Amino acid sequence: MFDILDKALEVGRDLGATYVELRGETGFIEYIQMDDLRVNALTQRIERGVAIRVLMDGAWGFVSTGNMDALDQAVRDAFTMARAAAKTRSDPIQLAETKPHEDTIDIKVKRDPRQVPIEEKIKYMRDLTKVVQDFDRRMVAVTVKVRTASGTKYLVTSDGTRIQSRDLLVWVYPWVTAKEGTRLSAARYEDASTHEGWEYMDRVATPEAIGLAAAKRAKLQLEGVAAKAGSFPCILGPRVIGVLAHEALGHLSEADLTTNSAFNGKLNQVVASEGVYMTDDGTMPGYLGTSRYDDEGTPSSRVAIIKDSVLTELLTNREYAAKTGLRPTGNARAESYLYPPIIRMRNTYFERGDAEPDDMFESIDFGYYCADFRGGQAQTNASFQVGLQEVYEIVNGKLGRPVTDLSISGIATDSLMKIEMISKKEFPFELGRCGKGQEAFVSSGGPDVRFAKGGITFGGKT
Amino acid sequence: MYGSQREESLSEVRLRRTEEMETERDLIDLCQYAVMMGQKMGANAIEVQSQANSALDADVELGQVSSVNKRVGTEFAIRLYYGKRMGCAFTNIPTRDALDETVKLAVSAARATTEDKDWLALPEPGKHKAIKGLWQESVTKCEPSWVVDLLSDAVSRAKAAEEGLMPAFGSAGVQVTLRACVNSGGVAVSEKGTLGFLVLVGVAQTESVTTPMIDSYDVQRSLQVDVPRIVDDIASMIHLCKNTSKGRTGKHTVILHPNAYSQLLRYTLLESVRGDNVARGKSKIADKIGDRIASDILTIYDDGTTPRGVNTTVADDEGVPRQRTSLIEKGILRSFLWDTYWANRKGVKSTGNARRNMRQGLVDIATTNLVVSPGKREISDIISEIKHGYLIRDVQGAHSANPESGDFSVVGNPAILIEDGRMVGAAHGLMVAGNIYSLLGSAVEVAKTPKYLAGTIGPEIVFRDVDVIAKE
Repeated sequence: MFDILDKALEVGRDLGATYVELRGETGFIEYIQMDDLRVNALTQRIERGVAIRVLMDGAWGFVSTGNMDALDQAVRDAFTMARAAAKTRSDPIQLAETKPHEDTIDIKVKRDPRQVPIEEKIKYMRDLTKVVQDFDRRMVAVTVKVRTASGTKYLVTSDGTRIQSRDLLVWVYPWVTAKEGTRLSAARYEDASTHEGWEYMDRVATPEAIGLAAAKRAKLQLEGVAAKAGSFPCILGPRVIGVLAHEALGHLSEADLTTNSAFNGKLNQVVASEGVYMTDDGTMPGYLGTSRYDDEGTPSSRVAIIKDSVLTELLTNREYAAKTGLRPTGNARAESYLYPPIIRMRNTYFERGDAEPDDMFESIDFGYYCADFRGGQAQTNASFQVGLQEVYEIVNGKLGRPVTDLSISGIATDSLMKIEMISKKEFPFELGRCGKGQEAFVSSGGPDVRFAKGGITFGGKT
Repeated sequence: MYGSQREESLSEVRLRRTEEMETERDLIDLCQYAVMMGQKMGANAIEVQSQANSALDADVELGQVSSVNKRVGTEFAIRLYYGKRMGCAFTNIPTRDALDETVKLAVSAARATTEDKDWLALPEPGKHKAIKGLWQESVTKCEPSWVVDLLSDAVSRAKAAEEGLMPAFGSAGVQVTLRACVNSGGVAVSEKGTLGFLVLVGVAQTESVTTPMIDSYDVQRSLQVDVPRIVDDIASMIHLCKNTSKGRTGKHTVILHPNAYSQLLRYTLLESVRGDNVARGKSKIADKIGDRIASDILTIYDDGTTPRGVNTTVADDEGVPRQRTSLIEKGILRSFLWDTYWANRKGVKSTGNARRNMRQGLVDIATTNLVVSPGKREISDIISEIKHGYLIRDVQGAHSANPESGDFSVVGNPAILIEDGRMVGAAHGLMVAGNIYSLLGSAVEVAKTPKYLAGTIGPEIVFRDVDVIAKE
């Protein structure tokens, strides 16, 4: 692959392009879906393709192609398109300087998903389905999705970067429907690894662990009481505070969004209560959003977004590092050769505080403990929404009844100031996917965090 | 309207050069070849769908055109049966050699999987109706300079239309798609379509307010996209959002823009009218055909044949003719949507709503263009009579609704406060919660002029006594 990429790179150099980048991919990708024990889709594919970006006259040209025999022409097209884009720009796009890297990154995999027999994967999904069905007779429908990937990515740039890296994924996602009388409910769960092979499914994301996680939540949804509407004191558990870190704050800290967001002009200003630290870290070994380099060849890093309540750093790629004068943080990520890299989070979390776990519930007469989410969404005016699938009432300082479908919202810039306590307890990360026009695997987390009344709005019944 | 196609050749890059391009005939031939190979390898039924796509677009970031992008690809998805065992495969290499390998992958998948006793047959040949206007030759000749000029012009107009309006993101472009579907039962259908589009996303910041991002777009089969409408749509909404209003918790009149209700319906009602969900016990309205499930002012249908629909095609993704299917007629539930597999299982006919994820091989059921029948009064006349209410243009969090129960709890953003018949300003952090069936039952009026969105055609809908939760 490097040979044909190098040859095409020369075409861009000969044309006089400011910067040329080629990302080649080749690999095995698999998707299996089982609905109520019926295999509804089972596709294995070998896919290859190249993404070409050319910077010329201060604008980008991008071509994605699966035709490996026409890369020279694709580079010429990208060059011409960049020039067409450039003619309307008043200020040229520039890239922050980075050190070129030559590297080969392999991941030692015990069980390459490509080599695991289909029969074993189907058995895994059947076992998972049965775990759910056996958990409670009210589990009426179970969909299980499994994705795996095993391939190689190649990056060459006109700056001299030349990186070969392993592309790996094992992913499982059950959706469970529960029914009692006319009442229907549902819950989902998700687990994945980008650093281990099928052994992750044997060791961590077992049918029992994943099936029970989904079934337990569907049962709680079925038995939950309706939520009240309004603002209440609340504690957001690790999975929910993580998604809040991602949705409400992480996106505002992506430099391509910051300029037009409520975080604009707030660098080095206090944006949260005292003692709040929030970080995006692409270097944590084995975590879902971790990789040694981003898709521009910049090493991943630890980004201190909020440091002791002050907005300290933003997530950047080379273009926005140059625009903002901040360092390139290695957050340029592309879903595949079909897309150009854009600024994305990796592993985003609130850091632990100093509150004793037992003190977190103290003096809450009525409130909510939010344990798990179904989805979330943010807007640049700092408005966030998180749909929840596991919530409990807090009554007189104690965990109470489960609550059914509900979502919470707030204006992040206000909510951050309402943080009262941050637990010192270790926390697990939630693993999932983020959509920003293209998919990225990310993780997020944090300890239990308590918000005062007025910080979070509960969208229940009025 | 923006639409004068430039005759001069400003660059050498065409959307797709002739020598790169497969024809409909090429796609059919390659699909037929793969079907033959599957049969040779012992498949008793095989279906091959192919799509050749070519897209050229320009992006804007921070008020300037940042890039021009081109994506070219041809894809083949194969679904075959060994007895009653199914296997799928995909390739993006349009050659016979690659198809040989792909058929082999599908065969090995089918051999490894379990039997589906309920599978009956792939679709039979149907009568496909020609739909006028899906193809405009001028789109295929589009060059980078055209998309750049279109986008640059729209950005300039937007900046001038409202003080502080920053076109933060946006895109203008064209897409050419050729499709073919062939199966071993005699289905062999091909078609082609073009799209031209412009989308702008605007935001503004004042000393005290950052507005939400407001997007507006137009998608046509030609290059004639409506720039002034998009600019006016964004500028007027940004203007309103610069003013902050205080919402009030309680039961209030809420007007949902089609942007907002299309999202809510997609994750609730539209999941429940899918035949597979009906058959699997996942639909709350599975036994409600002929019953009232919405206000009698609501008539909603799925139409895969309307020339104005972005998702209109001659055939669905397994080659079955598209059609118009009534879902709700004056509040009464009339039909569900079906693909061939689930229609066969339930003894009904496919409604031409099969959707295939080419790369994943998953064939499921999806709406095409959801159409809401219009009412009689313009939205401005309706608003002028509202004492206190909210116009919600978009929602956050519709995807976290519970599709099975229909419960939702979302943030309206922007949510515009209406007082004494006037739109006053944006109420930040305003939530709307409820159940989709209660909401549909509380619809009191549909506005007159439909908006043409991607996948939805309809005017605003007015709902009464909706649970609104204001931020404290």
